[in-house]
Amino acid sequence: MSNKKIINIPLGAQHISLLEPVKFRFSCENETIIGVESDVGFVHRGIEKACVTKFKYDAIPYVVARVCGLCAITHSLCYTTAVENLLDGEVSRKAKYLRMLMVELDRIHSHMLCLSHTCENAGFEAMFMQIMGDREYVMSLQEKITGNRVQFDYVTIGGVNRDISSEIIKDIKTNLAIVKEKVNSYIDEFSSNWSLSLKFQGIGLLSLEEAYSYNAIGPLARATGLATDVRSETEYLPYKEIGYEMQTAHSGDIHGRNMVRLAEILNSIQMCENIVDGLPDGEILSKFKGKPNGESLVRLEAPRGELMYYIKGDGNAMLNRVRIKTPTFACIPAFMEVFKGANYGDAPAILASFDPCLSCTAK
Amino acid sequence: MFEFKKFRKKSPWILHYNAGSCNGCDIEILACLSPKYDLERFGVINTGNPKQSDIFLVTGPVTYRSRSRLLELYNQMPNPKVVVAVGSCACTGGVFRGMYNVEDGVDRYISVDVYIPGCASGPELIMDGVVKALEILEKKEREENERSEDDK
Repeated sequence: MSNKKIINIPLGAQHISLLEPVKFRFSCENETIIGVESDVGFVHRGIEKACVTKFKYDAIPYVVARVCGLCAITHSLCYTTAVENLLDGEVSRKAKYLRMLMVELDRIHSHMLCLSHTCENAGFEAMFMQIMGDREYVMSLQEKITGNRVQFDYVTIGGVNRDISSEIIKDIKTNLAIVKEKVNSYIDEFSSNWSLSLKFQGIGLLSLEEAYSYNAIGPLARATGLATDVRSETEYLPYKEIGYEMQTAHSGDIHGRNMVRLAEILNSIQMCENIVDGLPDGEILSKFKGKPNGESLVRLEAPRGELMYYIKGDGNAMLNRVRIKTPTFACIPAFMEVFKGANYGDAPAILASFDPCLSCTAK
Repeated sequence: MFEFKKFRKKSPWILHYNAGSCNGCDIEILACLSPKYDLERFGVINTGNPKQSDIFLVTGPVTYRSRSRLLELYNQMPNPKVVVAVGSCACTGGVFRGMYNVEDGVDRYISVDVYIPGCASGPELIMDGVVKALEILEKKEREENERSEDDK
């Protein structure tokens, strides 16, 4: 490089602050980052291709769940909804409610994982351990409802695979009440503790105009005040009936993202309680006839933002095309913009606050 | 001389590498280190440095691009070392077996000592596997000592 003052620092592919392999190359002038390049393709497996060559359409819900372990339920639900649009049949209201219950529980545990990671990157190890410990209440609920802690394989074409019993509903209520109390104490901690609030205010800034022009989605966009959430824009799932509320902040920094995530956890807990209180009667699995013929496009809100599936079939068991657009992939231009002008020392904390999911991105 | 070897079996350090997994096993490894399961009570610490590690936890079916990094990390670890394949896809390729960018399991490239099944492997299974890996580490260490004494 001609200018000798610029130093290039690589971060990754394997690094202690990263769960997944991703490589960044930061160009720094003294402490300040002036440019950044990213390489996200380390975990590319070729799932989209396998969906049209190896697996039939009714097996794909379980394959696309393996795109990402954190938002597995959203992936299989999004695909399933897209296929159901092309087939004859109707999903019962009870199945829809149970699907929403799992999506919201998944969002709670995913956000808690992100918050604990933010704490770890702030050097607050004790808080990391505490949030991870409290997250087990949600994980045990997921295990009780679906039979597995992470990869549920709960959603299938026509409904869901397991029914819910009255004992489980009781457990949901007790565990969520505990988690709610804990989350309220986190809100105190995140807004008044020095290493979690003041240190993070003004770090990793993204303005509303930037969020709009770089197509930011999910909590990253909502922290800037951009009111975008697929849950309020689509009608596949009756979110309005169960008390969904848009959560936004206006600062656009790491602190704002943390507060949006905490508020979303509280809202999700409220929605889960409403779901189990007003659970309709009915079958959990209904029959669907025919083979997928035509095109279908479905959007859903994953914990990290909008997830989109496009599928195309021609009446055979094999589909012609499965296209997956994942939230982290859409956010990458905004990520790059946030890094510019930040201090290099803050880079791991900023990265953790994005809650990136690289196995989603690379597929 | 200060006896490093004596302390190693009391406090083995873990290196974790994601070779293309879906994150499911990775968050379960993280859950193992959290208070409910607490792998750290066996003296285990998760480290990012291969040169200080004894146990290598690998998740994922090994994608084309993570292959050389996997070998590099393995070669940088000092002997004796134990490799643990976590999850179905690290053992055999699992659901990803036969996809065009996937190498069907860790044991095609490095020798695996403990296989942990499950998609995703539960924390109990992972802890069981790590405890088993400790036994193997001790055995390998004994063998290495015997060999070095024979050389003398």
